[in-house]
Amino acid sequence: MQAMEISRTGLDVEWRRLEVIAQNLANANSSGPAGRVYQAMRLVSGPRFGTLLSDETGAAAARSLAGVAVYRLEADGAAPRRVHEPGNPNADADGFVSYPAVDHAAQMTLMVQTARAYEANVVAMTAARQMYAKALDLGRNG
Amino acid sequence: MMDPMSTALVLRALDGLSARSVATAHNVANAGTPGYRPVRVSFERMLAAAAPGGPDAVAVVRPRLEQSRLAEPLRLDLELATASGTAARYSALVELLGRQMQLHGLSIMGNK
Repeated sequence: MQAMEISRTGLDVEWRRLEVIAQNLANANSSGPAGRVYQAMRLVSGPRFGTLLSDETGAAAARSLAGVAVYRLEADGAAPRRVHEPGNPNADADGFVSYPAVDHAAQMTLMVQTARAYEANVVAMTAARQMYAKALDLGRNG
Repeated sequence: MMDPMSTALVLRALDGLSARSVATAHNVANAGTPGYRPVRVSFERMLAAAAPGGPDAVAVVRPRLEQSRLAEPLRLDLELATASGTAARYSALVELLGRQMQLHGLSIMGNK
């Protein structure tokens, strides 16, 4: 059932990535006093390996494949957008409010990519499930 | 009667296809990893090369797993084509093995 476990890790990571994107978009208009403004986050993921790595070959290496994992969540580091809004309760002494620098186009692109990757994992999992189901047919009188 | 050769070949091929499905799942799961090097499984050529050596030579063939040398961008569509192709071939081989086992059963039980 290893292939299905691997696809499961893919589903998990892509779902978390989608949550981070949703969080970023939801906070695109969250103003705050300078220095305490929401930072757009980015999920960093990469391969997860059981034991091994790279140049090992054969069945042992196949067992060491363990899908994908979330490495960390990092702020994307873009400087906040400063807008002159003297009436805003979050405005500083000069009347400026900070908004997070959320790149909408980039977030939407990433969202589409994430949704596609999620679907791909579902398809891969279905293929693996078909194989396992077929193997269960062995020895059954057809 | 069924020859041991085809059974050995079918079993090794099932083993290889199963490893390939794991590798494909791993590649698809890492579709979002920058600079990822896809994993590939090969066994067909080794099986073909071992076939003249008889069932014993075939029985020791193990699928070979390699990470591609280049950080080529992962083609998700091709990976999914591989996944469904692997599943279809696996099903066909299981079907074949099942038929062989039915023949076995028939020869033991008679046509009762």
